[in-house]
Amino acid sequence: MSADPNLLAVPILLPLVTASLILVIARWGGRRRIGLQRGMASLSVLLNLGVALFLLQTTLAGQRLVLQMGQWPAPFGITVYADALSALMLTLTGVVAAAVLPFAMATIDYHRERMGFYPLFLVLLMGVNGAFLAGDLFNLYVFFEVLLMASFVLLTLGGRLRQTSGGIRYVVLNLLASTVFLAGAGITYGTLGTLNMAHIAQRMDSAPQGVQLLLAGLLLVAFGSKAALFPLFFWLPSSYHTPPPAVTALFGGLLTKVGVYALFRTFPLFFPGLLQDWQPFLLAVAGLSMLVGALGALAQPTIRRILSFHIVNHVGFMLMGLAVATSGNRLVVGFGLGAAILYLMHHMIVKTALLMAGGAAELDSGSGRLDRIGGLASRRPLLAGLYFLAAISLAGIPPFSGFISKLGLLQSVLDGGHWLIAGVTVLVSVLTLINVMRIWQEGFWGPYSQPRRIPRKLLTAPQERWLVLAPIGLLLALSLAIGLYGEPAFQLSLRTATQVLDRESYIQAVHPLSMDQVSEPLVPQEGLD
Amino acid sequence: MIILALAITVGMLFATGTYLILRRGQIKLLLGLGLLSHGVNLLLFGAGRLTKGSPPIIMSGHGEQVKRLTQAAAENLADPLPQALILTAIVISFGITAFVIVLVHRRHELTRTDVLQGEMATLLHHIDPFYHPADPQGERTMRQRQHQVWLLAQALEEDVDDIDVMEYLIQNNWRFDEQEEDDRGGPLPGPGGTP
Repeated sequence: MSADPNLLAVPILLPLVTASLILVIARWGGRRRIGLQRGMASLSVLLNLGVALFLLQTTLAGQRLVLQMGQWPAPFGITVYADALSALMLTLTGVVAAAVLPFAMATIDYHRERMGFYPLFLVLLMGVNGAFLAGDLFNLYVFFEVLLMASFVLLTLGGRLRQTSGGIRYVVLNLLASTVFLAGAGITYGTLGTLNMAHIAQRMDSAPQGVQLLLAGLLLVAFGSKAALFPLFFWLPSSYHTPPPAVTALFGGLLTKVGVYALFRTFPLFFPGLLQDWQPFLLAVAGLSMLVGALGALAQPTIRRILSFHIVNHVGFMLMGLAVATSGNRLVVGFGLGAAILYLMHHMIVKTALLMAGGAAELDSGSGRLDRIGGLASRRPLLAGLYFLAAISLAGIPPFSGFISKLGLLQSVLDGGHWLIAGVTVLVSVLTLINVMRIWQEGFWGPYSQPRRIPRKLLTAPQERWLVLAPIGLLLALSLAIGLYGEPAFQLSLRTATQVLDRESYIQAVHPLSMDQVSEPLVPQEGLD
Repeated sequence: MIILALAITVGMLFATGTYLILRRGQIKLLLGLGLLSHGVNLLLFGAGRLTKGSPPIIMSGHGEQVKRLTQAAAENLADPLPQALILTAIVISFGITAFVIVLVHRRHELTRTDVLQGEMATLLHHIDPFYHPADPQGERTMRQRQHQVWLLAQALEEDVDDIDVMEYLIQNNWRFDEQEEDDRGGPLPGPGGTP
């Protein structure tokens, strides 16, 4: 089955168009039309998910979709590219967005909803989708900025003191990362003369060692900081707990994963040799991220702080998979990366569910402080059940997706003989269990305590109740499905990983111009019209 | 020579920007971010071929003159791409700088300080829990104290808090008056979210 490459524009244009339309109708005649806004946003998100699923089906069959904007040939025009990894990320983004949107409808307060929550949500979606589809380095930067801009506003919408102070840290550290990225893109263009990713991959092999090291370092710092890796993660725990729970769930599900995607995309493509050389360093960063994420979460006092600090630890797991992507003696090629991609799927689904359940618990108790809430299990049994299932899935208890993805990662590091990091992985899994069970024990069990603030009637009104609970339940069902159908899920991610590691096919797909034609200096042709 | 000067300028912009960001003031932070983005823009500028007086675009058309011009230009053609990149980067950094200015302004409005450090530390530094409104010797005005207490209440709300300290402070320092207006012209903010 083949798909029209023009379809690749849909995940970028659809949210943008819908956001603009919503802005227009929200101003028309001075009425806000919240119902219409909600309807349009839902329609857009569902369509986006549908297109993403179709793209996933196509790319898994082996087709790589390339759209050259305006018919400019590859290194000169803007390339939009999708292989299985892009399509998988698009699908997961669609799933997360489709789950968070109803939750947001139930939990976002009236003022934020009035002040353009849905357009911002959709612009964020557009930025994330665009970053997954970008075929050149500069467009990746532009879409990073689009999603950052939307996330800045979503984070600080409301202007409370906590939001502004968390927001400043988030904004400044992410801007620094963007600056480093842009510098990297500039130096790439200065040394290799191109920004198209396939073209960079072609020319990188003949580039001097120093240039390779410099570019790899700049990209690692830029993407590592977006992904919240070990020394660069400080913006995350100081900002993610400040916005409303729906925004936290959206950010926790999507944003750091864009950085992880960029690492998965660029490192195997540009620096396949460096991936091998830097393995000890990458493993050290991954191990420290895991440890710091898990230990830092232990010290946090509120539900969402614990859960968002934990993201650092999961990003460490994914980097570990990337570090062992090309190594391995007995296993198939790309086993480590496949396991990391499976972990990425698991993480995006389960983390969003957990952040939504935790956020609902916070809203229902009027506070997130574990020492001040309690007894949610008897008051809200359904929410408690969903939280518990999400928690054990995150910790890696068998019937759910956490088990199989962690097993894959452990196998791949043990296969490479990295005993230390394997030990850290196991230790961190135990710490994860302790963390999520701490919330369970102190927030959901224990004596019931009267909240200090009057909670929203979130889980008692029948309509809102299902808007909150149904998305969490569906995400958990997805996690359970991945866990039960472990073999097909693993096959899917392995196939994705082999596509990512296959540089030649990427270059072939993007680059219709022949090699010698391109590597010559660009001279205008005789008789140019 | 030009390249060297450009490199030194970029380096200085980066160094100054980094230094300013590491300082504590919010305004310095803003300036630092601006300098950094200028530095990157210049870096992009230098990444292209630096040529003097040659066009980036070749004329289209027929005839001997165009052909001759084209061939002459091809030897010393300016690279249009970095300029397009810089233009995009400038637009993006313009938008983001505007947003950061608003954010910093909002934060200043809330905290009345330019200092960036832990909010709790700032607040605890400013608040004297043993202050009483009847105390005529207090250095700050009543309104400033009310504002600080409101800040503390907001920072403490549901998060880092010690609810008893907050209640004590509010009982002793807080007199909420709906009609009273503070110097921003709006009604004095309420004790954020607490019943």
